[in-house]
Amino acid sequence: MIPLKYNVRNLRVRWVNTLLTMLGTGAIVWSSCILFGLVEGLQHSMKVSGDPLDVIVMRKGSTSETNSGIELTTAEKIPTLPGIARDEKGRPLAALELLNIPVVERVDGSRTNLIIRGIDPVSTELRPDFKILEGQGRMLEPGKGECVVSKNLAKRFKGASLGSELKVGEREKYRVVGIFSAGGSAAESEIWVDRKELEQNTAREGITSSVQVRANSAEDLAALKQTIENDTQFKLAAISESAYFADQSRSSAFLIVAGTIIAVLLTIGAMFAAANTMYAAIRSRTREIGTMRALGFSRFDLLISFLGESVILCTLGGLLGLAATIPLSALTYGTSNFNTFSEVTINFRFGPIVMAVAFVMTLAMGVFGGLFPAIRAVRMDVITALREV
Amino acid sequence: MGKEHSIELRNVTKTYKRDEFTIPVLTDLDLVVPEGEFLALMGPSGSGKTTLLNLIAGLDNATQGSVIVHGQDLGGMSDGEITRWRSENVGFIFQLYNLIPVLTAFENVELPLLLTNLSKRKRRDNVMTALRAVGLEGREDHYPRQLSGGQEQRVAIARAIVTDPFLLVADEPTGDLDRKSAEEILSLLQQLNKGFNKTIVMVTHDPEAAQRASRLLHLDKGKLVHDEVRNNLEEGVASS
Repeated sequence: MIPLKYNVRNLRVRWVNTLLTMLGTGAIVWSSCILFGLVEGLQHSMKVSGDPLDVIVMRKGSTSETNSGIELTTAEKIPTLPGIARDEKGRPLAALELLNIPVVERVDGSRTNLIIRGIDPVSTELRPDFKILEGQGRMLEPGKGECVVSKNLAKRFKGASLGSELKVGEREKYRVVGIFSAGGSAAESEIWVDRKELEQNTAREGITSSVQVRANSAEDLAALKQTIENDTQFKLAAISESAYFADQSRSSAFLIVAGTIIAVLLTIGAMFAAANTMYAAIRSRTREIGTMRALGFSRFDLLISFLGESVILCTLGGLLGLAATIPLSALTYGTSNFNTFSEVTINFRFGPIVMAVAFVMTLAMGVFGGLFPAIRAVRMDVITALREV
Repeated sequence: MGKEHSIELRNVTKTYKRDEFTIPVLTDLDLVVPEGEFLALMGPSGSGKTTLLNLIAGLDNATQGSVIVHGQDLGGMSDGEITRWRSENVGFIFQLYNLIPVLTAFENVELPLLLTNLSKRKRRDNVMTALRAVGLEGREDHYPRQLSGGQEQRVAIARAIVTDPFLLVADEPTGDLDRKSAEEILSLLQQLNKGFNKTIVMVTHDPEAAQRASRLLHLDKGKLVHDEVRNNLEEGVASS
């Protein structure tokens, strides 16, 4: 086989061409990785949002908490059901929660819908990843007009930073007393207030959106679901939390499809860039190719050598593109949840999808970009190639 | 086929097609080259000498007739077979040296050995032996651009002999060298022919270079027009 150093040194000798191609392929890998990193962040937020023993109780037929409504008298019976887990204080881990989706102004002056969640004191217990960030205030106290805001939203919305007053519509206003994180879950796209205050402020007394429940065990979970769905006093939908969030993540499927189409088109573009570089490389080394064929290297040896060179070239670009995504780990992107039409924030996540995208794109660029130039090299007539000056 | 006849061409014709025209390059050529001969091919441009060299080296196929080298009929071999045959039996020396610019002298000489199953250590020994034989010991880490033309051609000769082929083919090996370097290269070729019994076929325009060969063939318009066996080998070596 032709030694790899032959290809590596040729790439180094033609360093301007090599660098330009690396920058081109790197930029394409970089932009695709950002897109898929955000998709991965969205999927991760939905994945971590679901605990296997948790169920969300909603009105039958509701597709999300935002279009669910349960009469308060019915909802208040759910925490009394057997099989519900309890916290250290003995309180049942069942929280009535009310959602409001007002229009709120972003710091840039644009306006969007945002989820404001009215919570019960045990709501935080049902989200084990929930925590007030160190040095970023405290948990809200019920009945005091306070709210806590996720770290993703605090910088994106007017009046959402710690100590500010968040005004929502005509009647609602809350003082921001804490900034929280929730392990990258869907809660990081929300602002939390006291449920009873939200009821009053939105004139929705006597109703709640959902009840979040944690069962003691898998058996209790099955029994609870059975009771809530079939008992005549409830007749509600009890959906496991993981299934609920999996359904909510349908919007990411669109992003994946769109992202894949964009990535494929960009990759094809990069293949031409790589092919162009390799054609130029092979043209300038015609006599070397003839010499190696004369010395006894086979057409297959040459094919592998030039394909390898193309793959090395694109891999360098791919690594550059991947490295350029590292500073983006703090990137947060806001978009609309197609189910709730509210703002959902996505953290860029450098995980297996991003790595796989970079790997596949790089390999495709290298192999398909190098294939035709390499075929041209192996099909050269030895005598003609040797005559090349 | 005995090996006393290293190269045997029988009724060899070579034509090229250019559009609708058929251009004859070699016509009905017969040639026998015994093992250990140093053959110089001369003739005007277009006489067919390089084509003849390419046929003998297995780089080209005859249109008609047979080319038998070291007992092997080259006409019946596939592309893969003839590629392997070349790597085992032929050493190439080119006018412009044809070294790989990004590889050092050592790595250039090592190239043909990468097609063998020799260990790294054995390859190193063989490369150093070849470099010593051409007087370039100590230059193994130099790149071609760091060597003179004569030294580059010496590296190319080391590359040609490193696999110990029975046949060396040289296409104008002194065509790009000054007289002193050319003399050195020709002396080296004579030593390889005399000392190691290498069969050498050399194309040259230079009558002085041709004087170093043990046999001189003249071609014109694709035919052998003059065949002269010389006895000046000792003289050639002495004058180097």
